[in-house]
Amino acid sequence: MNVIEIINLTKYYGKARGIEKVSFNVEEGEIFGFIGPNGAGKSTTIRTLLSLIYPTSGSAKIFGKDVIKEGPEIREHIGYLPSEVFYYDNMRVVDLLKYSASFYPNVNKNRIFELAEIMDLDLNKKIDDLSYGNKKKVGIVQGLLHSPKLIILDEPTSGLDPLMQKKFFDLIREENKKGATVLFSSHVLSEVQKLCTRVGIIKDGAMVKVEDIHTIKNSNYKKFNIEMKDPVSVDYFNFDGVSDLTVEGNSVHFIFSGDMNTVIEKMVERKINNLIVEEPTLEEIFIHYYEKEA
Amino acid sequence: MNVYLQELKMAVSSAIYWTIGLLLMMTLYMMMFPALSKDVSAIQEIFNNFPPEFVKALGLTTFDLSNIIGFYGYLFTYILLIGSVYAMKSGISVLSEEVRSKTSDFLVAKPISRNRIVTAKLMSVLTLIIIQNIIYTIGAFTVAHMIATTSFNQSIFLLINVSLFLVQLFFVALGLLISVLMKKIKTVLPITLGIVFGFFIIQMLNQSLDDAKLAYITPFAYFDAADIIESASFDITFFILNMIIILIFTVLTYFIYNKRDMSSV
Repeated sequence: MNVIEIINLTKYYGKARGIEKVSFNVEEGEIFGFIGPNGAGKSTTIRTLLSLIYPTSGSAKIFGKDVIKEGPEIREHIGYLPSEVFYYDNMRVVDLLKYSASFYPNVNKNRIFELAEIMDLDLNKKIDDLSYGNKKKVGIVQGLLHSPKLIILDEPTSGLDPLMQKKFFDLIREENKKGATVLFSSHVLSEVQKLCTRVGIIKDGAMVKVEDIHTIKNSNYKKFNIEMKDPVSVDYFNFDGVSDLTVEGNSVHFIFSGDMNTVIEKMVERKINNLIVEEPTLEEIFIHYYEKEA
Repeated sequence: MNVYLQELKMAVSSAIYWTIGLLLMMTLYMMMFPALSKDVSAIQEIFNNFPPEFVKALGLTTFDLSNIIGFYGYLFTYILLIGSVYAMKSGISVLSEEVRSKTSDFLVAKPISRNRIVTAKLMSVLTLIIIQNIIYTIGAFTVAHMIATTSFNQSIFLLINVSLFLVQLFFVALGLLISVLMKKIKTVLPITLGIVFGFFIIQMLNQSLDDAKLAYITPFAYFDAADIIESASFDITFFILNMIIILIFTVLTYFIYNKRDMSSV
């Protein structure tokens, strides 16, 4: 079952492009990574799902219901952490969280204290006195306190130190195990790698690809670093399947996907001093995707 | 209900200050009545030296200052002005506050419809204004009774005070509409003062020029205290006009707020 269904979603801010014909689904129980550089349209997509903004065309459904027509009903089961967190400055943290809880039916108030304990958050401070990272923690707690079925996280880790990031990821995994579906937007690929089952890649307002995280990691991409005995021309390694090719004197770097023998044949023809073949990072694969698909 | 209570909590202290301000101004002015009412002719003499248009613009010709209701009616122009500034400020800020404090992503992403947000916020503003009016009116009656040497017409006195509420409603509705029409309002008070004083100046011109048409475009003319004293009632045309305008502004506010994109931070 699809928890989120997005069909040809398009949003223009006046004449400026937000997103164009974005379509993808998020299935029940998965952690879906939503990846793209800043300004690619991640927040625009997410804010449309929450009907904070209205699409120019296209539609989106959550739990099978239209996000605009049945917004309030849908949002009862969504926990949302915005990319930039702002709250009423004069309130104490605990009052803000109680206010947040008051929007949802049947909230277990103890959950506030549990989550605050896990995230190491001082409930008695005023919002105004909190650092950015601590405000983010408030955001995390207010997003999770009603045990939502769908958790939408927009760049959740900025401002959190590595220890807190780990605690936060554990928390998300735990919620996911309990049955929550997660939409996780980020431009930091290693985060997505740690957490997500599938990823959607967005660039310049358009979806580039949706893929299983293992497919991306396991697809036959290899990173070659070759130290030649004699300098070679750029053209020598410029053949089908090669990308990100750089040739500087004797050293050659590229990412290859395809029949491994073609590379080996090429190398056999020349003398080689040193050879490293390694798994490319997700980041390098994405850069490759962007270049190919854009 | 939770949004309504939250809004009340956030706005109550400001409402208290403004109400105290109104009461103080009224009390201090009314305390001058015993001294001034004895020398009305002397005051009239001073006014006679001013240009007649100026005296008219200030509304000094229309009130009998030797009578407590006339004396109060003259003051009331300024009570209206201050009350209107408060109403307009509340109207403008109650929805736009979320934009200024960048909390729209918090509130609008909650399971609550946009209509319910507007209703909750509108009701919180109305609640405070109604309480303000009740307290102020009780205060005004108390002070008037303490100072008056003879009895005065209570129902006229009450009508004058009720007009404060009716004019405030106009400015709340106008403030709400302006707040949803403008993308981002950085500071509320300058816009508030500009618009309220604009209407006030139109009213001064209206009194000075005797141009009946001007009265239609400023709420300060709808419930003219001098007219209320004379006729012991509201002018029904202006009363209805005021209600229609309030209704239109409010409907437009709901409509626009529903269609609106929440600006991102």
